Amino acid sequence: MTWWCFAQGTAWEWTWRPYPGVWLLAALLIGGYVAALRRLRPPGEPIPARRGQIVSFVLGVLALWLAADWPVGPLGAGYLVSVHTGQYLLFALVAPPLLIHGTPAWLLRLLIKPRPAYHTARFLSRPLIAFAIFNVVLLATHLPTLVDRLTVSQLGSFLMDMTWLASGLVFWWQVLGPLPELHPLSYPARILFLILNVFIPTVPAAFLTFADYPLYALYELAPRAVNLSARQDQQLAGLIMKVVGGLIIFGTASVLFFKWHGMEEREEGRM
Amino acid sequence: MPLSVGGALSTLPARGRFLRALAGLAVLSGSVACNPNAQPKPGELRGILLPDPLPKIDFTLANTAGEPFAFRQQTDGYVTLLFFGFTYCPDICPVHMANLAAVLRKLPLRTANRVKVVMVSVDPDRDTPERLRTWLNAFDPSFVGLRGPIEQVNEIQRALNLPPAIKQQTSEDDYTVGHAAQIIAFTGDNRAHVVYPSGTRQADWAHDLPLLVEADWPAQ
Repeated sequence: MTWWCFAQGTAWEWTWRPYPGVWLLAALLIGGYVAALRRLRPPGEPIPARRGQIVSFVLGVLALWLAADWPVGPLGAGYLVSVHTGQYLLFALVAPPLLIHGTPAWLLRLLIKPRPAYHTARFLSRPLIAFAIFNVVLLATHLPTLVDRLTVSQLGSFLMDMTWLASGLVFWWQVLGPLPELHPLSYPARILFLILNVFIPTVPAAFLTFADYPLYALYELAPRAVNLSARQDQQLAGLIMKVVGGLIIFGTASVLFFKWHGMEEREEGRM
Repeated sequence: MPLSVGGALSTLPARGRFLRALAGLAVLSGSVACNPNAQPKPGELRGILLPDPLPKIDFTLANTAGEPFAFRQQTDGYVTLLFFGFTYCPDICPVHMANLAAVLRKLPLRTANRVKVVMVSVDPDRDTPERLRTWLNAFDPSFVGLRGPIEQVNEIQRALNLPPAIKQQTSEDDYTVGHAAQIIAFTGDNRAHVVYPSGTRQADWAHDLPLLVEADWPAQ
């Protein structure tokens, strides 16, 4: 039994396989969340978390579970680069905003209470730092040499998935981070931050879409899991990266724009 | 003045010789670099060079139309990529065929037309002519599929220094076949100088096939 999905080079079979490491991660997140809401709520807080926050956190964990467990996990780790790209989006662009939105502000404050955690949070809350981390991780983890080497071991595959998640948390913190003490960006700055981050993913997306030959040895030489050639699979990966990734970012930017607009109108109404 | 004139006059022949030598070198190096028929240098090909080239052996097996296919005769002058595999193969065979088909589709027609891909079935019991044809058509209808008694197929493999295919029972009513994973590349001189193991990538084929087609290997 393997605890985390990795490329094994065997023919693909639609037979369910257990990945206990994925379940453990999901159980730790949900268990930790429930325990924190029940036991750590400060006396002044009227409710542990809003209903929407709980739903959001659970959806975030579900996104992680979907990305890492069978069949998406093993397909992405060893057979289809298009699924691998889908995993990236789930780990970096879908799960993190749901987890951040689902965590009540009092719990976030508790998490950054220790001095080193606070300083780390302050450092990572700088937009340029977040921009650099997110995009360096994006580019590095799509380099063929790195992907071909990392995804052939459980540890390597796990590290890549967790790096995506961590970079996603840093990225989305700039957009959704609710703590005033960490100096959140203004709405226009958040929108600008999001839009600036649309351009860098175009680089790997373009390479994936327009390369003459498959870029990743791993996916090129893997037994075919579906009726897609290695190049078609790679082109699909490029489209997923560009179109779905773009939709998530532009969609969020639009929501922020309307929130900003609403806030401005309310302020004008007060005056 | 006389000195300078004399100096100029005395240097002209030397400069002329130098320029002529330089031009000669340029022509020579140009002819080596641009000659499409030059033999690939060691290390230039991405396949594995054989220390002793294999002669293209003469055998006849049935093609998927049931007609005899005389291998040496019907592939004469072509770069011929010979592979021993089977259609129930879950990994190596379909990947090899898919990669070759993908590259041949992208190569210039004059190069692709000088390449023949021949797959000999190591599982003639299950690889009926129809099944073999349908399977190869999924990659490229021009790929040649051959089949014959397994004893003859194994004899051909031995003649090419390949291990014979081995049937391995995987369950009571199912089996797989262990077989050599490399593709042998015969060139226009009817010899194989290079083989391509499992794991050969499309970029490797795209790099090597034009060289194999254009190469002018020295006569035996």
